[in-house]
Amino acid sequence: MIELRDVELDYGARVVLKQVSFMSGRGEFLGVIGPNGSGKTTLLKAISRIVPPSNGIILINDQALGNFSSLELSREMAVVPQATDPGFDFTVRDVVMMGRYPHIGSFRRERDEDREIIRKAMDTTGITHLSDRSVRAISGGELQRVIIARALAQQPRILLLDEPTAHLDLGQQMSILHAMKELSRQIAVIGVFHDLNYAAHFCDRIILLHDHRILAMGRPEDVLTQDAIRTAFGIDVMVRKNPFTGRPVISPLTKPENGRSKGGRVHVICGGGEGSDLLVGLSAAGYQVTAGVLSVNDSDYRTARMLGIPCISEPPFSPVSAGSMGELALILDETNVVVLTRGLWGAGNIGNLHVLESAKVRGIVILDSHARDGEEWDFTGGKAAAILDGLGANGAIPVREVSSAIAAVARIIEGVP
Amino acid sequence: MQKRGLFLVLLFLAVVASVLVCTAIGPAGTPFLGLAGDETSSIILFSVRLPRVIAALLVGAGLAAAGVVMQGLFRNSMADPYLLGTSSGGALGAAIAIVFLAGAFHWVLAFAGCIAATFLVYGISRKGGRIPVEQLLLTGIAVSMFLSAILSFLMYTAGKSLHQIFLWLMGGFWSTSWNDVWIGLLIVPASLSLLLFSRELNIFAFGEEDAFHLGVDIEFLKKALLLVSSFITGLAVAIAGSIGFIGLITPHLMRLVIGPDHRVLLPASMMAGGILLLFSDTLARTAGNEIPVGVVTAFFGAPFFILLLKRRYRQ
Repeated sequence: MIELRDVELDYGARVVLKQVSFMSGRGEFLGVIGPNGSGKTTLLKAISRIVPPSNGIILINDQALGNFSSLELSREMAVVPQATDPGFDFTVRDVVMMGRYPHIGSFRRERDEDREIIRKAMDTTGITHLSDRSVRAISGGELQRVIIARALAQQPRILLLDEPTAHLDLGQQMSILHAMKELSRQIAVIGVFHDLNYAAHFCDRIILLHDHRILAMGRPEDVLTQDAIRTAFGIDVMVRKNPFTGRPVISPLTKPENGRSKGGRVHVICGGGEGSDLLVGLSAAGYQVTAGVLSVNDSDYRTARMLGIPCISEPPFSPVSAGSMGELALILDETNVVVLTRGLWGAGNIGNLHVLESAKVRGIVILDSHARDGEEWDFTGGKAAAILDGLGANGAIPVREVSSAIAAVARIIEGVP
Repeated sequence: MQKRGLFLVLLFLAVVASVLVCTAIGPAGTPFLGLAGDETSSIILFSVRLPRVIAALLVGAGLAAAGVVMQGLFRNSMADPYLLGTSSGGALGAAIAIVFLAGAFHWVLAFAGCIAATFLVYGISRKGGRIPVEQLLLTGIAVSMFLSAILSFLMYTAGKSLHQIFLWLMGGFWSTSWNDVWIGLLIVPASLSLLLFSRELNIFAFGEEDAFHLGVDIEFLKKALLLVSSFITGLAVAIAGSIGFIGLITPHLMRLVIGPDHRVLLPASMMAGGILLLFSDTLARTAGNEIPVGVVTAFFGAPFFILLLKRRYRQ
């Protein structure tokens, strides 16, 4: 159990942590995120007693951190630092065995139980095959796993990780983080993360540091909001929900080049999530984008809202109303190009096609990302297919990729044939 | 582990053999080969050669042990026992004795100079109860330079004693007696006491913060190691002046042979350092006129060291 109460820390005149208070304990994987210089690493250093706080209290199992001897503390807490520099050519096994020092001390001999513990630790981190190699002759990722194994060998009740996956490849990142997650059922794990998606995916709770204080703390879906991320990191992101885990997924949005919008109005008729990438791409390219008519329970609707794209909408499961059709017709009057995703058509959304059929726009691009050969897509008894065929005959441009759709839009707007 | 144990036993046998061989060798002849079994030869063997042989062995062992500790503490195989101003402190102490006291107590002042220099460096580096290692290193260099400046001034104004100071600076065992051996024996328990810290020294290879996370009382460790190693270096310098390269090369060489584990590295380096210095001194006293042993260790040590470095870079 670890508790921080109003912890403040400064290096001389420079304040590094302000009013930091939280508790964590066995069974929790707590993530610490924040921009560079927000105090993440310092927070870990304060908890591990490398730098003393200038104010406030840090408690481990209700005991002041300062009351522990270094040996006692090392039995409670293990730390995996951001980077490690082995001074000499110790073997991997020797280094993992150093993790037993808190229990062995200076003089006791290494027992079978110690050997069994380090064997398991090396197994968990997948470094058993490196046992006899020198820690200066292995890769950065391997060394990182050796240091994690050394921390596991300490059998701590609190494990602090400072960017534990910084030097690992994707597969190793996953296996290490899964192992940490598993471990967090029995002990408290606190990890600093650079990658917001890993924090969102693995952590039970997240602390978002900004400007040396806690900006937000709580479950990933409550902390990782568009606004919080904009405040902390100064970028616009799209936050979506991973449909399998329910955890937030964050993708950064690229800003328009030169920060200025291009001339050109583009309307997107989409649905079923097929237009999301297109909406992102078009707004990133700097066009004035509009969308709809969309049902408010459509994921494309949520994407449009997140991007701040004006969108004509209908209540869930309702067909496109006459009012919305009128609205769409008005928008299309002002629009240069319409991009249509060739999704599924039924009685609910056919209204969009009817409006489009009679609209006078400079060009129409039809994005057909999926090869739908043989798959049922027209549930309007042939009406939708007929309209699409008609659009095609009148010069609508068929494309397969989002990027080619955006390129086609650009060509139409700039008047290039 | 068994292999390492065997290596230590072999090294010990080598120490015994070296003592026998080096006591037997000398300009006056070898037992059974020209050195008669009379009283003179027994004086040569037991009052001249043997104390010198044992003193060289002890000083070599001490310098190597201190070298192991310094390299471990600074996580740098370029560190040596004189890093924290010990040799300049010792030299200044000896020079003061030579210039102002006609050489009396020169070994006492040399020892005092070594210890004083270390404490000066330690005191300057101390910051809020802690001694940051980098601070220690830089202060050591600065204090060394400062003490050397005073030494140079003394030498410049020394006049007739200059030659004596110069001889002392190069180091040697020409005046070694049994008294030096008795003092030098203190090196053995002091060096062996360093073995108590061998696990901590191993962990220290990963730096102070890691060592702290693993439960090592780093501030105590640094204090204890600095105290003991400066004591050892002080004794070595007091007996034989500041002899270079033994404390630098021996730990390096032993690490290549048996690895960095201080539980083995420390005793192995002590024995190897003793043997190296013993053979250097034997060469120094038998190669024509007595040459300062510091010249021998540097002459053979430096090229050998370069060879080691080249080999390491190639790996």
